Amino acid sequence: MPRNGAEAAPAAQPGVPAACLENVQVTYPDGTEALRGVSLTIARGSYTCVVGGNGSGKSTLAQLLNALIVPTRGRVRTFGIDTADESRQMEIRSRAAMVFQHPDDQMVTSVVADDVAFGPENLALPQPEIAARVDESLAAVALSDLALADPSDLSGGQKQRVAIAGALAMHPDLLILDEPAAMLDVRGRRGIRRVCRELNERGITVVHVTHFMDDVLDADRVVVLSRGQVVLDGAPEEVFAHEDTVRSLNLDLPASLTLADKLEARGLRVPHRAREAELARAVADAVETRQGGSAQAASSLPHDAVPAADAADKKNPATGAALSPDGIGPGASAEPAAIAFEHVSFSYAALAPKRRRGLFLRKRNRLRRAAEAAARGPWALEDASFSVAPGSLTALIGHTGAGKSTVIELACALKAPTHGHVRVAGIDTDNLAQRRELRRAIGYVAQLPERQLFAETVYDDVAFGPRNLGLADEEVRTRVREALELVGLDADAICGRSPFALSGGQQRGVALAGVLALKPRILVLDEPMAGLDPAGRARTVALLRRLNEQGTAMLVVTHSMDDAAALADQLVVLDHGRVALQGTPAEVFAQESELRRMGLGIPSALRIAHKLSSAGVPLPGAQPLTLDALADAVVSAANGPARGARPPVAAAASAGPADPALHRPDAAKGGEHLGAAR
Amino acid sequence: MALRVSVGQYFSADSPIHRLDPRVKLALTLAYMLSCFFVANPAMLALAGAAALALVRLSRVPAGLLLRSVRPIFFFLVLTSVFNLFFVCTGNPLVQLGPVSVTYDGAWAAVLYSLRFLFLLVVGALLMCTTTPIALTDAAESLMAPFARWGLPVHDVALIMSIALRFVPTLSREAENVVAAQTARGADLENKGAIAYARACVPLVVPLFASALRHAENLGRAMDARCYTDGAHRTRYHVMRFEPARDGVAVAVAAGYLVLLVACAVLL
Repeated sequence: MPRNGAEAAPAAQPGVPAACLENVQVTYPDGTEALRGVSLTIARGSYTCVVGGNGSGKSTLAQLLNALIVPTRGRVRTFGIDTADESRQMEIRSRAAMVFQHPDDQMVTSVVADDVAFGPENLALPQPEIAARVDESLAAVALSDLALADPSDLSGGQKQRVAIAGALAMHPDLLILDEPAAMLDVRGRRGIRRVCRELNERGITVVHVTHFMDDVLDADRVVVLSRGQVVLDGAPEEVFAHEDTVRSLNLDLPASLTLADKLEARGLRVPHRAREAELARAVADAVETRQGGSAQAASSLPHDAVPAADAADKKNPATGAALSPDGIGPGASAEPAAIAFEHVSFSYAALAPKRRRGLFLRKRNRLRRAAEAAARGPWALEDASFSVAPGSLTALIGHTGAGKSTVIELACALKAPTHGHVRVAGIDTDNLAQRRELRRAIGYVAQLPERQLFAETVYDDVAFGPRNLGLADEEVRTRVREALELVGLDADAICGRSPFALSGGQQRGVALAGVLALKPRILVLDEPMAGLDPAGRARTVALLRRLNEQGTAMLVVTHSMDDAAALADQLVVLDHGRVALQGTPAEVFAQESELRRMGLGIPSALRIAHKLSSAGVPLPGAQPLTLDALADAVVSAANGPARGARPPVAAAASAGPADPALHRPDAAKGGEHLGAAR
Repeated sequence: MALRVSVGQYFSADSPIHRLDPRVKLALTLAYMLSCFFVANPAMLALAGAAALALVRLSRVPAGLLLRSVRPIFFFLVLTSVFNLFFVCTGNPLVQLGPVSVTYDGAWAAVLYSLRFLFLLVVGALLMCTTTPIALTDAAESLMAPFARWGLPVHDVALIMSIALRFVPTLSREAENVVAAQTARGADLENKGAIAYARACVPLVVPLFASALRHAENLGRAMDARCYTDGAHRTRYHVMRFEPARDGVAVAVAAGYLVLLVACAVLL
């Protein structure tokens, strides 16, 4: 990546900190106390991560720094300038640039370079200077090639890098990022992290608001907010030393710390290290020590801490059938596959009305089309075959443009395949006569489903589907109640309220209930965990498990390999519109190099296992997919080969009730912990 | 992503027409279109046609693409021709078919009106094909700039246009997602009367409206953060430059064309 990007402005007076908050309080007009007495100094050249759960005030803090919000009480000075001084707010904003959460909502024009130029234009810079800044900023985020593209054709990660380029073009001293990666997949997030690190190395002060704990490891300082107050503040290691506080605040811990906990619960005490390489070394030491005195160690192993063997938990005998490529497997039951794709190809171009897409249009707008072709190729889906066995859960993996949305649209009969057949519960989606029946069988939870809420009351919104089925009022009422209870909402309290007045998590619940009220036998979910905090995620995982146990077949799109490994019976990996890999999680994740080539990750347990192996922990043949399985493997390794009898892959499959995600304290309880922590 | 709404007709190519200063291009196009209304005799018609043809050849835009954009109005052209053909009753009769007679004047009017309208449309379409919507917005803003003195919010209107163009694909994709989600919940948008149809649209319109408001709020904040105050005190990334060797020649050619046109009108 070129290094000729934005430099810190020379005007920087050395003594003045980048930002200084003195006992800041912010109360919104509706009475919400977003910040309650925050004092904080951000040094120049530092990289600070601000973390906190939903409603902790972290976004408010970010906007205070560049005078988008002024404090109700207290004082904020950015580069020594009081943000309340309206005559100097533009000066502050030109030096403290900001990147927001939603990539789409920060762009003003339909050409990437023009958008980057927007800030410098506002600063009334001369044209040659603007042009130079546009070029260097795009180079700094490695997007020079896409200078003339339309932002709508870019992936989320690329859009967000355009937004960062737009901020860089202001030549800021301070870059504030407000959850820039919340809507991105793993690859997009990695890109953002790399850019942030590089900019910081160039001397730009970075304030990164995030709820991903792994982002925190890049920072020199972490500020943890809860309910408008700073609860922890220090270097990442110091903050993670207060592990319980972090967990009680409904924040994720890095996988390495979770593993350390699990090892401890299994009687292997290791120093808690947030960085995986360090943890690996620590574990290697601990294992070596243990193996030295193996006899005593073995007896001290608390047996009840080891979760019950879960080979039996691999609930579905039909899973094997799911591996047969052409759908209906050799399973004993005659029940057809929940969803079966048989050599399905699909092209959006073929869909467009023929008379409008003639010879000439193909030539037109070559740049844009080239970008599109790079993103998804001429076939959105090509010769895809797989099936979801009744009652099983299949995770669909692949990054932006791989064809996941297309698979979903085809599976839900929202589009018809160009070639091949899609069958849902045995019904061909081409068969219009049985369309009604098909719709009854399959439910579709879109990405960010809360955006589809529309009715005046929660009751009406959830009842929309059942009423469309033509059910009697009494039946509708029962279903609404059941669905709301299933997603953990109190039907009596919430039914009469407007869905728009609810919190984000509650809205998600209502939207889910709206689909569950249809009582579908098959459920298709697009990124159901996206944008949720750890508690919300744990609730959703538990809900999916419960539905699955009750026999609902599911096709879940996810970009979290950990979720995929923990939940799925089968994985289908898409790459450039083709099914690149499919099989059980153990089978698919064994193809690690293949996954890496596609730019996809592996579960954190597996990743740490590799680090452990290279640090010298003997994990023969183990391929742990969950942290529990990994902890078991490490403990059995520590206790010597004699005790390592548990078959690792069977252990790997365990996604049993021992998962601690389900037992995390909820937000309210978090508050008590917080009080105790202080 | 199925529903791709492309705004404008831009055809990417490298040609003298593409390279023109968009202000010059816009002004000259308007002049040509206006001049078409004064075309009254065969020599003028031939001249206007030759000019339109030359421009199309010069621009390297496929003629088919241009005609395609004229097609919506094609029916209207045919209709007016037919009217002219049969209802202009002056002049010598050309053909007599029972009660219907086609006169010489009628035939001429049909040819003249439809052809000059066709030329006008083709050249208008050519402007759209050789200029990006953004450049067009910039050009219009620049040409209208004098009116800002009388309080016309020229700059703001231009920015609004640009943002509107930017959000068309975003909103259309969201519309598609909402339709998909509500369809999957059994929303039926067919086989209904007007009122029932309107009611059926509520589950689609409300989320879209909410989403548009959300976009507007976020965008406003992002524009604030990027130091936008008002349109008047900004500089431009794309500076439109009038280059005599390029734009001067174009203006001279256009002036020559107008002189010839007037000459044809006066002399013939």
